[in-house]
Amino acid sequence: MKVITPEGDKVELLTVNIGPSHPATHGALRNFVALDGETIVASVPEIGYLHRGFEKMVERGTYQQVLPYTDRLNYCSAILNNIGFCHAAETMFGVEIPERATTLRVLLGELSRVIDHLVCVGAALVDLGALTNYWYFFNPREDIYKIWEKLSGARLTNAFTRVGGLYRDTYPGFEDEVRAVLPVVENAIGEVLKLVEHNRIFLDRTRGVAAISAERAIAYGWTGPCLRATGVDRDLRKDEPYMGYDTYDFQTVVGSTGDTYDRLMVRMFEMLESISICRQALDRLRPGPVNTSDARLSLPGQDKAYHDMEALINHFKLVYEGVRPPAGEYYGATEAGNGELGFLIVSDGTGRPYRVKVRPPCFTQFSAYHEMVEGGLVADSVACLSSLNIVAGELDR
Amino acid sequence: MTDLLTLPFLVTCAKFGLAFIPLMLLPFLIWGERKGASLIQDRIGPNRAAIPLMGGLRMFGFIHNMSDGIKLFFKESFVPAHAHKFWYFLAPMIPIIIAMLAPSVIPWFAPMTVQGPSGWVSISGQNLDADAGVLVLFALSGLSVYGVVLGSWASNSKYALLGGMRASAMMVSYEVSMGLSAAGIFLLAGSFGLTQIVEWQGSNPFLWGWALQPVGFVLFLVSLFAETGRPPFDVAEGESEIVAGYFVEYSAVRFALYYMGEYAHIVIASALVSTLFLGGYQVPFLPTETIRANLGVVGGGVLALLGLGVGAISLKIRRWARIYTTLKASDAADRAREYGFLATVSSVKAVVLLVSALAVGFLVRTTPAEVAGDLVHWPLWVNAATALVQLGVLLVKTAIICWVFIWVRWTLPRFRYDQIMSLGWKVMLNVALVNLLITALVAKLLVGGR
Repeated sequence: MKVITPEGDKVELLTVNIGPSHPATHGALRNFVALDGETIVASVPEIGYLHRGFEKMVERGTYQQVLPYTDRLNYCSAILNNIGFCHAAETMFGVEIPERATTLRVLLGELSRVIDHLVCVGAALVDLGALTNYWYFFNPREDIYKIWEKLSGARLTNAFTRVGGLYRDTYPGFEDEVRAVLPVVENAIGEVLKLVEHNRIFLDRTRGVAAISAERAIAYGWTGPCLRATGVDRDLRKDEPYMGYDTYDFQTVVGSTGDTYDRLMVRMFEMLESISICRQALDRLRPGPVNTSDARLSLPGQDKAYHDMEALINHFKLVYEGVRPPAGEYYGATEAGNGELGFLIVSDGTGRPYRVKVRPPCFTQFSAYHEMVEGGLVADSVACLSSLNIVAGELDR
Repeated sequence: MTDLLTLPFLVTCAKFGLAFIPLMLLPFLIWGERKGASLIQDRIGPNRAAIPLMGGLRMFGFIHNMSDGIKLFFKESFVPAHAHKFWYFLAPMIPIIIAMLAPSVIPWFAPMTVQGPSGWVSISGQNLDADAGVLVLFALSGLSVYGVVLGSWASNSKYALLGGMRASAMMVSYEVSMGLSAAGIFLLAGSFGLTQIVEWQGSNPFLWGWALQPVGFVLFLVSLFAETGRPPFDVAEGESEIVAGYFVEYSAVRFALYYMGEYAHIVIASALVSTLFLGGYQVPFLPTETIRANLGVVGGGVLALLGLGVGAISLKIRRWARIYTTLKASDAADRAREYGFLATVSSVKAVVLLVSALAVGFLVRTTPAEVAGDLVHWPLWVNAATALVQLGVLLVKTAIICWVFIWVRWTLPRFRYDQIMSLGWKVMLNVALVNLLITALVAKLLVGGR
C-alpha cells in the first residue's frame, strides 16, 4: 500500500489483518494494521464479530431470565456478571438481601475475580511465549471450577445468583473446599511470580510497552485494573461500596506507569487481595436464608403454594409475569473483573425490562487500543491486547 | 572390483549410516519434548494414541509420533493458489537435506586403524574428515536459512513474509557470534578439525571446552538457540504474533519436513556443542587407548550400567501399574496389562544386559594385534566395540543438551524481534570478541602460541 505522509514523502506500507481469527485475539477481534517493517504505523480495531444482541435478547424475558444471558458477557467470571445485574435490579426494588446471601456473593464474586485474573494473566503470558505459566494458573482455576460445578451444576455459565438472593444455598463441605483452594491459588501466584518477576525477557517485553497516561485513560473512560495500573486509585468496591465491601479489610492495588507490566502485576496482586477478602467472608459466613422473604421477588415455598391461595397466586404471577419493578430508569454498577460493569435498566412497570444497556469495562479499554499500539511493534500489540483482557463476549455483547 | 571391497572401504561405507543418527533420534526428541513439557507444566502429556494390541499398547505416549507421522504423510498436500509453485515445493526440502548432510562432519567415535591390502589405514569417526571441519558445519547451518526464506517468500503470504524477514535477519546475526564464540576453542586446539578438537580436549572432564572456555560455551549455546529458532528465539514462528511465521501456508508432508528439519537441527546443534565443549566422543576419565586395552571391563561396565538403568525403569513401571489399579480409571485393567507387559519386557532386558555384562567382563580379553613403532593396532572388533561405546557416550551428551533445549523452551518467554537483534549485535558479539581477545592473549602468554 503506497501512502503519502503529511510531509509529502511516499512510503510503502504493508497492510495486515491481525484477527478476527488469530491466535492472539482470544475471541474474535479484528485489528487492521499498516506496518512499516514491523512497526505499526496505523491501527484500526474493529469489533462486533461476537455480537449476539444481548441487550435486545433480554427484553423478551423476565428479569430472572436475564441471568443466563449475563453469564455470556465476561464468560471468564460469570458470577461477577450475575452479581452485577442482580445488584442493579435489586436497586430498582430497594430490597435488602439476607446477610448470608450478601456474604456468599462477596465470596463467590472474589473467587470469580481470581479466576478472571488467572485467565487474563495466564493468557497474556502465553502470548508472550511463556506457556508454562498458563498451566500453573489453570490448575488452581480447575480446582475452583470443580467447586462451581458442585455449587451450580455448571462450570462456565453458572447463573448462580437471582434477583433477591441466590439460586440455592451451598452444599455441605463447601467452606472447607474453598479454604483448601485458596492456598493453592496463592502458591500458583508465587510460582508464576518466581518465573517472571525477575525475568529479563519478561521485563523487556512488558515494561514501557503500550503505556497510557492516567489522563488519557480517564478520558477514554477506563475503569478497573487497567485504570489502576496507570496510578489512579479507583475501585468501586472502595469508592462506592456495595454488598458491604466497606466492612472488609483490603487494599486497592495501584500501578504507576500504566504499561503492560503494570497491568499484569496489578492483576497478579489483586488476586492476593481477593483471596484475603475470601478468607474474611468465610469467617463471617453464618447459616441463614439466601433469598429475600420479600414476596415481590421470591417464590413462596412449595408447602405454602400448595396450601395457601394467596401464595399460589403469588407463585403464578411471579413465574408467569416475572418480578415487576416500579417504572423508571436505574443504573447499578459493580466492580467486575475488568472494571466497572454497569447495567442501565429502563423499566415500564411490567415484568420484562423495557431496555437494558450494559456498560462493559472492555469497551472503553479497547477504544484506546489503537492509540496504545501505534508506533509499537506487532509483538507489542499482542502483549498489550492480552494485558487489557479484552473478552469479546463482553465487548460485543 | 576386488580391490574396492577391502576392509577400509567397507568400514567407510558403513559409516554412512551415521548420517541417519539425527533422523533416528527425532522420535525420541519429539516424545521427550512433549513429555518434558508435561513434566514441567504439571500435566500428564500425550498418552492416548495406541496400537490396538492387547487392549491398546500406548507406550507412554510414544505412539503419538507414529500417528502424527502417518497423519501428516497421508494428508492432502494442499498448495495455496497464490504460491510460487517451484520454490514452494523446493523450500521444505532444504532443512531436511541439511539435516542429512550436517552429521557428516561430527566425529562420532575416535579414529581407528584398519588393516588394508597395502598396510594399515586410519579411518576417522567422521564421514567428511576435511581440514575445514567445523566450518563446513557452519556453512551448512547458514544454508538452512534458505529453507526458511524461500518458503516464506514462495508462500506469498504476509505473515509468512514477516516470519521470513525475522528469520533471515536473526540467523545471519547470530551466525557471527556463533563463529566468534567458538573461535576461542579453535584457537586453543589449533585446528578446525573436529576430531583434532576432541582429541585435544582429552578424557578429563575438567579440561574440556566448557572448563577452558566457559564464556564461549554459554555464548555458543545461546547462539545455537537462535540458530535453530528455538524459544526464546522463536520469533520466526512467533505463534501468538505472526501465527506460524514462515510455514503458515505449509501443511501435510511439507510441514512435516520443516518440523523434522527443525528437530534434526536441534540434534545436530546438541551434538556440535557436545563435540566442541563437552569432550565429544571422549568417555570421562577413559582415554580411547585405555578402553581398547580393557574392553572387557569397560564393555562389561557399560552393559551393567545399562542393565541397572533398564531394571530401574522396570521397577518404576511396576510401581505405576500398582498406582493405576487404585485409580478409578475405566481402562485400569487394560493399563495394568500393558504396564505388566512392558515391565516384564524391561526386566528381561535388564537380566539379559546384566548377564551379558558379566560375560563380557569376565570373558573378553584384548591384546594389541600389532605394535608398529609408537602406534598400536587393534583388531577390527575391538575398534568397533570402542566406537560403539564412544558413540553411546556422545549420544548421552547430545541428549543432555537436547534436554536443555526443551527445558529452556518451557521456561522462558519469547524475545521481541528488535530485542533479539540488539542482544546479538550489542551484547553477544562484543562479549565474544572480548572473550576471543583474552583467550588469545592468555594462550600466547602461557603457551607461547602456535
